Amino acid sequence: MITLSESAKKSLEDYLRQARAYLRGSKSVDADEVEQNIAEHIENELEGAAEPVSRDVLDAVLKKLGRPQQWVPEEELPWWWRIIFRLRSGPEDWRLAYISLALLVAGILTLPYAPIGIVLILAGFLASRAAVAEVGNAEELKAQKWLLYPSLIIVYIFVLLTLLTWPLLFIPLAGEYEHTMIESNSRFDNEIDYWIVAASVIVAGLGLWWSILAAAVLKPRKLLRVIFNPFAERLRSKWAIRLLLIGLAMLIISAGTGIVYYKGLI
Amino acid sequence: MNANFFDNWTNQLRKGVLELCILNDIRNRKMYGYEIVSRMRKTEGLIISEGAIYPILSRLKRQGLVDTFIMESPDGPARKHYKLTEQGEEMIAQMNAYWQAISGAMNSIEKG
Repeated sequence: MITLSESAKKSLEDYLRQARAYLRGSKSVDADEVEQNIAEHIENELEGAAEPVSRDVLDAVLKKLGRPQQWVPEEELPWWWRIIFRLRSGPEDWRLAYISLALLVAGILTLPYAPIGIVLILAGFLASRAAVAEVGNAEELKAQKWLLYPSLIIVYIFVLLTLLTWPLLFIPLAGEYEHTMIESNSRFDNEIDYWIVAASVIVAGLGLWWSILAAAVLKPRKLLRVIFNPFAERLRSKWAIRLLLIGLAMLIISAGTGIVYYKGLI
Repeated sequence: MNANFFDNWTNQLRKGVLELCILNDIRNRKMYGYEIVSRMRKTEGLIISEGAIYPILSRLKRQGLVDTFIMESPDGPARKHYKLTEQGEEMIAQMNAYWQAISGAMNSIEKG
């Protein structure tokens, strides 16, 4: 029996625990037998080494043995075991992918209890972003996409809609000032007059905002890449140009309509 | 991209070839686990992770192709040795014949 240093002993225990956990999931092998073989292998490899065997010497042997994940084909493991294993000791991108999906599902289920649901969805989003960052190149994400993208898409759609439509928040504000404006401005005879002008101003404001937004994203694409990673790569300049043209058209038509109608009220 | 393709391809090829090598090695001589690993590691590129041999041995045993027995050693503890079963003998004969056919065909394809 070879004597190991304390840190080597711990390293060996961790390794064997990991090997046992992985092998027990496979139906095609006898986990106890393999573990015994591995222990014998280590003893043989360390024969003649200076005792107590240091962690470095042991780790070199373990490195040659390889990671237990490489020993059994993943297809041999039951699906539920693959999930548990990936969560426990799988590569970071898989672990984060499962965590992300679990948080999203929990977030959706608890959405009626608003703050908890929203926090969970945001946590799922962050886990997804971390997994994408871990991989580096999103093209390398294969099956993980199905676990990671739902969290990202939900948050990105919300961000995108907020970015595009926030000027519409002025509609309730216009409603609040409706009576004050009609009473104080002699040009408005009724609510219809007021709302035609107010709507023109709001739509012109929306058009102006879209124009600014489109112009802003037309060149500095880096910011977009950071915000909408990994989908920003698919954004094309022509989309920004279209948004710019639509925004300018809305601005000109609505502002023109508002001014003409307002003047016509005299 | 090409390196990735080559890695995937060698991984797939290695899996099947490793089982063939192990069975052939045991066929010629009864051996214990560590001895098998030591012999396999001499063939460059055949094993990436030495530990992978042991689950293969266990799988072959479960499939009835190999069996184990304890053999006393003059210079150490008694060791569990592996030997081919009758079923294993038949299987390796089939596998070798298939391998010969494939490698023969491969050679002629390569030569054009």
